[in-house]
Amino acid sequence: MSTSSSHQENPEPKKVQFPLDSTAYQILDEIGFGVSAVVYKAICLPMNNTIVAIKSIDLDQSRANFDNIRRETKTLSLLSHPNILSAHCSFTVDRHLWVVMPFMSAGSLQSIISSAFPDGLPEPCIAVVLRETLKAMSYLHDQGHLHRDIKAGNILIDFNGSVKVADFGVSASVYDANSSGESSIRLNDVAGTPYWMAPEVIHSHNGYGCKADVWSFGITALELAHGGPPLSNLPPSKSLLLKITKRFRFSDYENRHDKNYKSKKFSKAFKDLVGCCLDQDPNKRPTAERLLRHSFFKHCRGLDFLVKNVLQGLPSVEERFKKTRALGGLMKEKGINAEDDEDEEEDDEGSSARQRAKHRRISGWNFNEDEFDLDPVFPVEPQGDSAVKMVRFGGESIIQDRGGEWSESNPSSPGRVEEEAESENVGVMEAGREAMAVGEHSENVGEIRGLLGGGGVDEEALMGALSGNVVGGLDREAMMGALVAFIGSLDEQRQNVMKLLSVLRGVEAWELSREEQMGQVIERLRVELENERGRNFQLEMELEFLRIQVSGAHSSTGAGID
Amino acid sequence: MKGLFKSKPRTPADVVRQTRDLLIYAQRTPDSRESKREEKMSELCKNIREMKSILYGNSESEPVSEACAQLTQEFFKENTLRLLIMCLPKLNLEARKDATQVVANLQRQQVQSKLIASDYLEANIDLMDILIQGYGNTDMALHYGAMLRECIRHQTVARYVLESEHMKKFFDYIQLPNFDIAADAAATFKELLTRHKSTVAEFLSKNYDWFFAEYNSKLLESSNYITRRQAVKLLGDILLDRSNSAVMTRYVSSRDNLRILMNLLRESSKSIQIEAFHVFKLFAANQNKPADIMSILVANRSKLLRLFADFKIDKEDEQFEADKAQVVREIAALEPKDHS
Repeated sequence: MSTSSSHQENPEPKKVQFPLDSTAYQILDEIGFGVSAVVYKAICLPMNNTIVAIKSIDLDQSRANFDNIRRETKTLSLLSHPNILSAHCSFTVDRHLWVVMPFMSAGSLQSIISSAFPDGLPEPCIAVVLRETLKAMSYLHDQGHLHRDIKAGNILIDFNGSVKVADFGVSASVYDANSSGESSIRLNDVAGTPYWMAPEVIHSHNGYGCKADVWSFGITALELAHGGPPLSNLPPSKSLLLKITKRFRFSDYENRHDKNYKSKKFSKAFKDLVGCCLDQDPNKRPTAERLLRHSFFKHCRGLDFLVKNVLQGLPSVEERFKKTRALGGLMKEKGINAEDDEDEEEDDEGSSARQRAKHRRISGWNFNEDEFDLDPVFPVEPQGDSAVKMVRFGGESIIQDRGGEWSESNPSSPGRVEEEAESENVGVMEAGREAMAVGEHSENVGEIRGLLGGGGVDEEALMGALSGNVVGGLDREAMMGALVAFIGSLDEQRQNVMKLLSVLRGVEAWELSREEQMGQVIERLRVELENERGRNFQLEMELEFLRIQVSGAHSSTGAGID
Repeated sequence: MKGLFKSKPRTPADVVRQTRDLLIYAQRTPDSRESKREEKMSELCKNIREMKSILYGNSESEPVSEACAQLTQEFFKENTLRLLIMCLPKLNLEARKDATQVVANLQRQQVQSKLIASDYLEANIDLMDILIQGYGNTDMALHYGAMLRECIRHQTVARYVLESEHMKKFFDYIQLPNFDIAADAAATFKELLTRHKSTVAEFLSKNYDWFFAEYNSKLLESSNYITRRQAVKLLGDILLDRSNSAVMTRYVSSRDNLRILMNLLRESSKSIQIEAFHVFKLFAANQNKPADIMSILVANRSKLLRLFADFKIDKEDEQFEADKAQVVREIAALEPKDHS
């Protein structure tokens, strides 16, 4: 069973064994992070200081069980394809799992686009990237694996222009999925990142297969062409997303079809490629293998074309990461969650994204070939017109800018909107206003908390006074004043609590599954009930006290009369 | 195919027979001309892939049960599985993966409602030795490991592995530095100790002493975080299984075991603490606590109560809260007994 003979039949390069010991590596820089993972640039000392990327997953923090992590690393270590970012090795370092991977010096296409091509890549460059991505997908699908999170953020480029698909955080094997050996290969978990997600993944009760990746691939093509996936003009802020789900009032994005966007010309072949990937019916979408033979790739350039046209003059991955992180921090301060922007080299599995996706209800998508964009078809609101509404939108600007731009640009648009869109615009503006309000609230949280704390102290003092009074004495006026003040403060506190709850609910709802949401509703009702009980108790106390006072007065006066 | 084989449609049995011939060829030491050998090896890989698509279907067609049955019957009629396992290191990565999936699928195929794979393995049980030793080989570990896990779905095979000397090696395999391999070995270990209830119960009561001595010292007291976390979780699964109640009673009567679990309760890792609690509660709930267990619990009564007072899990879990309340009651009730 010697391994020396194993490669005699196949000229596969022998996998070099990287050291399984953290002391052999020296960490240079942080280049990405996710929910429970950080990605570092590092050198491997005994390997001639080879530069590597290390994804460090906090195992104690990550709720994913070992089986998932095991599956992920096993999938990775059993894949061998020039367009797939494989792992050199993985080992544990105390509570962390280190996955050592080749360092892709140009980073992800998402970060390249946002730092250097905010309006999208030139079409010949897109062709190269998409062809290489398809090769990876074709290999994966042939192996029975789904990637489940194809997007520019997971497509990495090396200094030599080689393109690799990365991050199998949510990838699944269709062979693993059913242990019974049945034929149907369907998966049912919701996974991926919402913008890129195929309709059948969002409505995941029917299960989905390789064609979901083809959909995401189509969205990725639009992302590369426009600088962001469709809908991404809406900031990925959780609160805003919430508003969208709640009312589905997309504004007419006419105003964003600016000169830049309009001047962009895409070839018929490109439009056709994207069009067939974004077919509603998964069965009508071509396989990755067939897509490789699409006419769009007929005159596709080589990898050096990417080096010359994309990589030259690009800031380093580290620099870009620092910039994005600074931006992310800023956005967080403003109360906007920027997690999707931070998905640099390897973003994390995005469990929150997965959860979020569950709440998006889009009944369908229409690919608009003229506009070269995707039109979501939204379910009709009960009170709305019976016709299915179609909303057009583009996606020309980068995500970071959108937080402010979006709400500001709305008032300027109504001039150009059609009648139908106007009502929707109002909805969006409302949503914007509400979102702003949410921001304000969250700033107020500290204050409210202080208030609550203060209230608590007051309450104690009051209770002391109350009991003291009941036992000892008759300072009626002072007592009444205190009680009135107390009731006032209770009401105020109650309102504050309700506000806080609504803010929290607003922010958190995206991360919660339906059951959790139900749980939360129950919890909230419980708190409300508790509050009501408390108030009731206070009022009863008050009543009782007044009764004592009154009867005391009565009996004393009565005694006087008698 | 290059004219070697006519394009006449081959039956699933043909594919198996051809694979077998090529495996026999591959097994021989390579002395013939290299070019011919390469051609035959690639032919072999194609055949293995074809078996896979018969069993799993492909993008064009779903698997046909009749074809699967034919393939399975022919496969186990002769020694194809042994040949395949022996030749696996000589195949390329893709063929190894295909072969692993074929072997996995065959374990579940029924021919005339009989799992013939089980009969074959019973007669060729030494194959398990090869598969288990695969954990010592970085290149083969994941392939052999996956095959092994499928084979131990058969109760007789699982019993053989449990009772073999190999069982002791798992304590080392699951702590190998290579995470993929260690995790694969851990998954197999868990499967062995949880899948076939009666076999596991029998194994544990027969091998109680050495097994739990190793389990405690090598796994629960390991310096490796992952090892401890996985081990305490698995221990809970084992002891809480009703079929292992005799083993559980014995385990929770040992002072040493209690000491180890109490140390795990003090870990800074929340995950380990919670898993440790699920075992610790068995010590506390035991209505016939031996005197030495009792005295340890009494001596640590206040510390334990303090620990449980702010012992919470992120998610609301009624069962957990109920268990905790019961443990607290049990421990709180210890002192009066001591005074009386």
